[in-house]
Amino acid sequence: MNEKVVAMLLAGGQGSRLKSLTYDIAKPAIPYGGKYRIIDFPLSNCTNSGITTVGVLTQYQPHALHRYIGLGTPWDLDRHKGGVTMLPPYAEIDGIKWYAGTASAIYQNINFLTSCEPDYVVILSGDHIYKMDYEKLVEYHKEKQADVTVSVLEVPWEEASRFGIVNTDEDMNIVEFDEKPEKPKSNLASMGVYVFDWEKLERYLEEDNNIEESTHDFGKDILPKMLVDQQKMVAYPFKGYWKDVGTVDSLWEANMDLLDPSAGLVLHDPAWRIYSSNPQLPPQVITETGRVQGSMVNEGCVISGTVSHSVIFQNVLIDKEAVVEDSVVMSGTKIGRGAHLSRVIVPPDVTVPENYRLLEPAAGITLLTQDLIDTWKESGQQ
Amino acid sequence: MTLMAAVDASVKVAGLQDLTIHRSVSSIPFAGRYRLIDFALSNLVNADINSVGIFASQPFGSLIDHIGVGKSWDLDRRKEGLFFLPTTHQNGGIATVGSFRDFEEHLQFFEKSRQTHVVVTSSFVAGQLDYKEMLAHHLASGKDITEAVGASGSLKSYILSRRLMLELIRSYREKRILSVEDLVNLKKAPYSYGVYEYKGYFAIIDSIQQYFKESLGLLDENNRRLLFLPQAPIYTKVKDEPPTRYLDGSNVSNSMMANGSTILGNVKNSIISRAVTVGINASLDSCIIMQKCTIEENCDLSYVIADKDVYIEKGVKLSGTADRPIVLRKGERVTKEDSQ
Repeated sequence: MNEKVVAMLLAGGQGSRLKSLTYDIAKPAIPYGGKYRIIDFPLSNCTNSGITTVGVLTQYQPHALHRYIGLGTPWDLDRHKGGVTMLPPYAEIDGIKWYAGTASAIYQNINFLTSCEPDYVVILSGDHIYKMDYEKLVEYHKEKQADVTVSVLEVPWEEASRFGIVNTDEDMNIVEFDEKPEKPKSNLASMGVYVFDWEKLERYLEEDNNIEESTHDFGKDILPKMLVDQQKMVAYPFKGYWKDVGTVDSLWEANMDLLDPSAGLVLHDPAWRIYSSNPQLPPQVITETGRVQGSMVNEGCVISGTVSHSVIFQNVLIDKEAVVEDSVVMSGTKIGRGAHLSRVIVPPDVTVPENYRLLEPAAGITLLTQDLIDTWKESGQQ
Repeated sequence: MTLMAAVDASVKVAGLQDLTIHRSVSSIPFAGRYRLIDFALSNLVNADINSVGIFASQPFGSLIDHIGVGKSWDLDRRKEGLFFLPTTHQNGGIATVGSFRDFEEHLQFFEKSRQTHVVVTSSFVAGQLDYKEMLAHHLASGKDITEAVGASGSLKSYILSRRLMLELIRSYREKRILSVEDLVNLKKAPYSYGVYEYKGYFAIIDSIQQYFKESLGLLDENNRRLLFLPQAPIYTKVKDEPPTRYLDGSNVSNSMMANGSTILGNVKNSIISRAVTVGINASLDSCIIMQKCTIEENCDLSYVIADKDVYIEKGVKLSGTADRPIVLRKGERVTKEDSQ
């Protein structure tokens, strides 16, 4: 790319439906896939797409994210020119300006963007799991001579009413935005990934800031306004795996997708690596009594029990006669002898006692918190 | 009292030839995801030693690729840090550790240092040597040179003062000694020699038999616990491999597995490095498989060491013994016809 592309990664989301997993970390920092955090995906996409200037906008519980990203070294974003810049809300003469919406988050960092001198700005969300070449997206944007390009994904018709739907003409020009429509006219869902011409973006952000009743959101305010103004807006059809992890169930599903080759998300791909901050741990060990089937296991684990159809993060110890099936076990967890776990997500650093069983197996996925374990202990069932 | 370190990565070990055609002994892969030098370097940085010289001789391409600027060991520093100090001699590297001729070539490394003492260490021993404790022992003993010795022999790690080191480098020719190891073995006057008793785990890798035995020895939980201490991690170059996949129908037991591999077949009593593929119905028993090897379906291997990038075609049967494991050289391709 000759022109300069800057990515702005929105990473301030709370993700309250993920319960205790996000009590003290933002949603993009949630562990995923045995060794990653969700934000590794958009960050690695930037690296693999040749985007070397990335602003990361944080707000909710930013510390874990700031420490995790650091200088951006794992993603090759520790650079003299550009690189990664963490952008939390800051105070001005007029007071502290919290990010009210996605657009206001970008607006309040307009000075940062100006100093980057971009030609195009790519707006990304820090909590989506997908592999995407943003270079192709920007090329498409240029070819179409668009003012803004919205990346869209075909979703099943029956689910279309859960998404922000984009209606287009046959040349992929956007004619209407339909937020969670009851009767969708199309099944093209917006992925929250946009490319803007910088000048246009700057103008619309300034305008939007002056509109008092605006919610300062790209989907609700900026894009509809541009449509009214008859700006050139096109949809870019993305093909491939994409998942917005909003709930415990969908986080579990996204992990299980890694165990299913037909789901379409391949991590064993040297041409499109997902980079991550790597702890220095010894290899995993499957002991004499260990048995692992249809699963992914990370470094530092010692498996002496039975693991099937599960994703096991680093430094997990699974004792003899323990059974873990259809589950996600996050880092540093110890599972005691004879415990039996099925369809659970175990958060990091939990100790599951010997012979533990779920008291009332839920219909969905159980987040196996320390509270649940304490309740079990008090029930005297061990 | 403070330490600097000279890591001897140029030493020649005759018994490891099959694994050192393209690399030095120090960069032989070990324990699934490490190179031998990782253990020496990690022991040094875990003792807060920040001035580390790596003395290397050809072929050192693989070593440079592995070490880089020393980032993985936190040795990429403005002040001091890692120094890569290759010898210019065509036939660099001798059979004993700490060659004075190599040190002489980089005399400045020792002259300019602000540290009071020097660690001289080999790069083919895996252990958890605590240099802070060893230095304290050395100072208390009042000896000139202290050698670390474990239950099964010398760890080939030494501490001496920088002043004595400079004196030895300047006088080794007339004294007719080749190296620090040589000097300690000959116990040359007028120096005094002490021993630091090392009680932990260590593995000396100086022959294929030793390599094989010590590698599989890591399947013993006690050895692993002593080598991989949470408070003293072993650092290595990061590769960004995803977690290892165990597919339905695979069967892995009593094995050490690095990340990035895909296992469809049967693996027992083995060490599997990064990004290895083991095909359906293949069986591995007591094997050491290095990174990026492919073992196709229906292979049956026992007592085999496969160096990096070895490709074993389907149906190959190979069996060595614990004393004479079969060694497949880097990049080798083995067909069914070869193995019959």
